[in-house]
Amino acid sequence: MALTFDRSILGQEFDHTVFEPVTKEDMLAYATAYGETNPIYLDEAAARSGPYGTLVAVPTFAFRLRGHHFMPKSLAQVGRAGLDAGKDVEFGEPIRPGDVLTASSTIHDIYEKTGRTGTMHFIVIRTLVTNQNGMRVAVIDQRMMFR
Amino acid sequence: MIIDLHTHSDLSEDSRAPIETYLKWLQRKRDLLPIDGIVLTEHRQWNARLDYRALEDKYGILILRGAEVETDYGHILLYGVNDEMVRRFDFADVRLNAQQVVTEIARLGGIAAPCHPGRPTIGLCEHYASRPPLEGVIAVEALNGGSRKGENERVADLMARHGYSGFGGSDAHLVSLIGVCATEFDRDIGDVEDLVEALRAGGYRPVDFRHRLRAH
Repeated sequence: MALTFDRSILGQEFDHTVFEPVTKEDMLAYATAYGETNPIYLDEAAARSGPYGTLVAVPTFAFRLRGHHFMPKSLAQVGRAGLDAGKDVEFGEPIRPGDVLTASSTIHDIYEKTGRTGTMHFIVIRTLVTNQNGMRVAVIDQRMMFR
Repeated sequence: MIIDLHTHSDLSEDSRAPIETYLKWLQRKRDLLPIDGIVLTEHRQWNARLDYRALEDKYGILILRGAEVETDYGHILLYGVNDEMVRRFDFADVRLNAQQVVTEIARLGGIAAPCHPGRPTIGLCEHYASRPPLEGVIAVEALNGGSRKGENERVADLMARHGYSGFGGSDAHLVSLIGVCATEFDRDIGDVEDLVEALRAGGYRPVDFRHRLRAH
């Protein structure tokens, strides 16, 4: 069945979430859980002489941010079931303790393709993460596949 | 002359392979993969403004462009794409009418060739089992580097039954898969017009380099 939707939904912000300041404890817990061994993510003293002069978060820390809405309410349910079809991420400014991060999400693209198992519908959710200085921390394109 | 007729760069949403990295890989693997050129056949799109001449000059590898579109008879590779074809068809439409694509692309100066015909759902063989054959098909992709076991094997019968010529392509979406299957032409190909003419005329065959890579 052909996928029909209002294309004006593309690019419109459907979620804007400002998070509590990032704590050193959160960053360390994430790095440890991640199995990270690089001292710039784990050891304050080592991080001070590192490239950022301070402890920074593992870049994928930005993935743990969850806004209020995963999808716009106006987007009707597509297909019977969905799955995570992967992420493309562009990392920017490192995350430091005390940073206040903001995530702004839009529907970046919706498209169809056909494969061995039939027609698939893809929704690409783009989340821009910025810090309190307005600097870009990450651009995350989350691809969801529905059939 | 050996050309990989079916490749996807990171312009296709399901590939992460930059074009220049393909070229670096081919240069590095020259003894195993004697590829003289590639055709970029991005999924469901055509951008007339792209120009890869600087990369061609830098790496000494011919870079041509086509497209892979999706139809009611499965996926079809288009060679010799021009503005008129883009006006005639919405390349992003996954339900294009295959007969119209084959007929109109030929009329407008190109050639439309079904790819991975042995693949379930999106290959010609499955559709031919229940529907009349397309008119005007000259060649099909007889060897596809991304096919699963049995998929390429189904194509020989299709070609014999309908008199199709066969070519090969890697269908690479990853750098290390570029050039694993390709097409050997008896004539030199210098541009996309040469390619279309050659595909119509015959004098080519699929070539498989996967055994070389496995043995290395």
